Amino acid sequence: MSSTGTERTALIPAAPAKRPGRRRLTRVSLTRGATPYLLLAPTVIAVGAILGYPIVNLVELSLQRYGLFELVTHHGVYIGLANFSSVLSDAVFWNTLWRTVVFALANVGLTMVLGVMIALLLVRISTWVRLLLTGALVLVWAMPPVVAVQVWGWMTNLQNGVLNYVLTQIGIGNYFQHNWYSTTLSQYGMVTTLIVWGALPFVVITVYAALSQVPQELVEAAELDGARWWQVLRVVTLPVVKPVLLILTSLSVIWDFGVFTQAYLLIGPGQQMPSNYLMSIYLFVEGYGQTNFGRGAAISILMLAIVAALSVFYVRSMLRTGEE
Amino acid sequence: MRYRALVALTAALTLAFGVASASTALGASTNTLTVWLQVDAQNGWPNVVAAANSAFTANHPGWTVNVQYQQWSDHLQKFDATIAGNDTPDVIEMGNTEMTKYMAAGEFANLTGMKSQFPNSSHWLGGLQASATYMHKLYGVPYYAGSRVITYRSDLFKRAGIRRIPRSLAQFQTDLVKVGNMEKRVKGFSPLYVGGEDWYTALGFVFDYGGSIAAYRHGRWVGMLDSPRSLAGLNAFKQFFQATQSKSTAKLDGTNPFPYTVFSQGKTAANYGPAWYTCCTGKQYAKVTKQFVMPSHVAGKPLPGFLGGSDLAIPAQSPNQAAAAAWIADFTSTASEQALAAKGNIPNATNLLGHSVNDRAAARSWFVPQATNWVNVENGNILKTMLGSMLSGQLSVKQAATVASQNIAQTLNQPA
Repeated sequence: MSSTGTERTALIPAAPAKRPGRRRLTRVSLTRGATPYLLLAPTVIAVGAILGYPIVNLVELSLQRYGLFELVTHHGVYIGLANFSSVLSDAVFWNTLWRTVVFALANVGLTMVLGVMIALLLVRISTWVRLLLTGALVLVWAMPPVVAVQVWGWMTNLQNGVLNYVLTQIGIGNYFQHNWYSTTLSQYGMVTTLIVWGALPFVVITVYAALSQVPQELVEAAELDGARWWQVLRVVTLPVVKPVLLILTSLSVIWDFGVFTQAYLLIGPGQQMPSNYLMSIYLFVEGYGQTNFGRGAAISILMLAIVAALSVFYVRSMLRTGEE
Repeated sequence: MRYRALVALTAALTLAFGVASASTALGASTNTLTVWLQVDAQNGWPNVVAAANSAFTANHPGWTVNVQYQQWSDHLQKFDATIAGNDTPDVIEMGNTEMTKYMAAGEFANLTGMKSQFPNSSHWLGGLQASATYMHKLYGVPYYAGSRVITYRSDLFKRAGIRRIPRSLAQFQTDLVKVGNMEKRVKGFSPLYVGGEDWYTALGFVFDYGGSIAAYRHGRWVGMLDSPRSLAGLNAFKQFFQATQSKSTAKLDGTNPFPYTVFSQGKTAANYGPAWYTCCTGKQYAKVTKQFVMPSHVAGKPLPGFLGGSDLAIPAQSPNQAAAAAWIADFTSTASEQALAAKGNIPNATNLLGHSVNDRAAARSWFVPQATNWVNVENGNILKTMLGSMLSGQLSVKQAATVASQNIAQTLNQPA
């Protein structure tokens, strides 16, 4: 639901070592082959129990008319695919989808480009500056999104915000009582700065870890052959860290596509309108605001399908990289 | 690599479903009465709540009252979650515009038979009692009402040479422009401060010009904001707004910042809002904070104010309905209601009314359509969208009103 640091767990950077080819099925390997599945089983069972039950429930709900009356009586009315057809024929859905895709792409792009740049910077600076910077990044990571939203809201407040004050004082223009939340573009500009700010630590630290895996001899060999720094970056460094970049991009897409907390709270519950919905907010307003849980469930399933489709694309290219 | 695929998919599933999760409120043990009141009571009249609680516990030994304060913006969503979990509060404060949908769904206990048990119930305000009545049955107890009045800085008005309280809208606008010109050197000063999307203010103009929001005709709701009279009201609002506001407030809805905060910072000479705004206009202005009734475009009449208010209802799932009714009776006693009136509210019964500015303003008032789905119009921010787009110039008044009118009709006609 949120794309900032707290929920993110550090990924182990992929070692560039070659992976073994696929096993051939012999009797010996069959018994040996079962071990990994047995080891995986507890996780799969736990995930199945935690996710399986709500998913089945959600699918059931999406096929029902389930409003306030049904909530009170605890009985939905089966209506087939009517919720899906009503959502898919709603112009608000398509506009929201388009807006969310653009929003997610902008956020992921900014996060990844800035993240890689800062990670490359980390490699080159002296140890104590690196420690200082890493410390700052970890502090950003530790900030709960709701608190960050509050602080951001104060800083960009039209009446007493420090942003308007500073911009006016340094002579960039007259920002006195400038309302940063008056247009959709400006609203999402603010949300984007907040999200990218919160997402950077995870990307920077992970990419930095991956960069430390780049074999120095390759870099030196390339430099001896007369490669310039950008050629080294393009031909040596990036291919080695590519798997990590792919999985980071993939996770960022998933997070930013479903972002809710920052957008909902920073723009404000009273300012959520069809003209500025993101998918998760559209889902929330339709489901909870309008007490139409069946329709909300249908939107939720459509969102799930879209995110799953997006992930498949990345996961496939990731697998290909892994097998090379 | 397959593990990563699983991680990615798991993350996808978790995140996509995370949005749909909800939390339920804390459970109540048998001898605890759980009461949901809005934060207005916590900020404005905590002593009235405390008095009701002690009166109740004195008559009900062994009971404790657990008052949980809620925000207007999300209390219904939290309430829905408690309905799903069969764990509702025993008493809930509902905005008068929020009642219909829940009464129609059968969520509240029928109080018709116990009406006489509540103090002053034969004199309840008609508008509030109507908001708690569905199909001739009573599902809520009127708590208090509020109209809207002008809260102003008498020192600034005096300095601008204004000797009389304005009797017409045109006169008021002239006065405000005078004050605005006088205070030009104060950066960001608005002679009157209201958020452009504060639909409670804007629709007062619509009703003043004889317009309305929606009408029920031949079994269907028809949007009325694009009718000639409504348009006249919206145009009058836009004209008044532009003459008295700084441009940056067009897309604000009057909750961030609160109008009285702007007042307390010396950035405005007047607010239009509930009479209790005097609470928060700042210590330095306490002596010069005065109120009058907002004038209509017809001289001598008040501008119709939104008759806001709250009712107290008992969720049907509550196992403590008798105790809940007893607590409500204590909380709406004559003494309680008089204390509420002293804080700038309109008490729930006509026999308790006085001649306060609030009571005089309530002489002309308007209310939202009593449609089951009205609350969806509010939650969908349809009116704010209309006001924001017409005041910022994105759409003409007529275009914005036509879109809003269609959306309102569509929302109200949806099967509940």
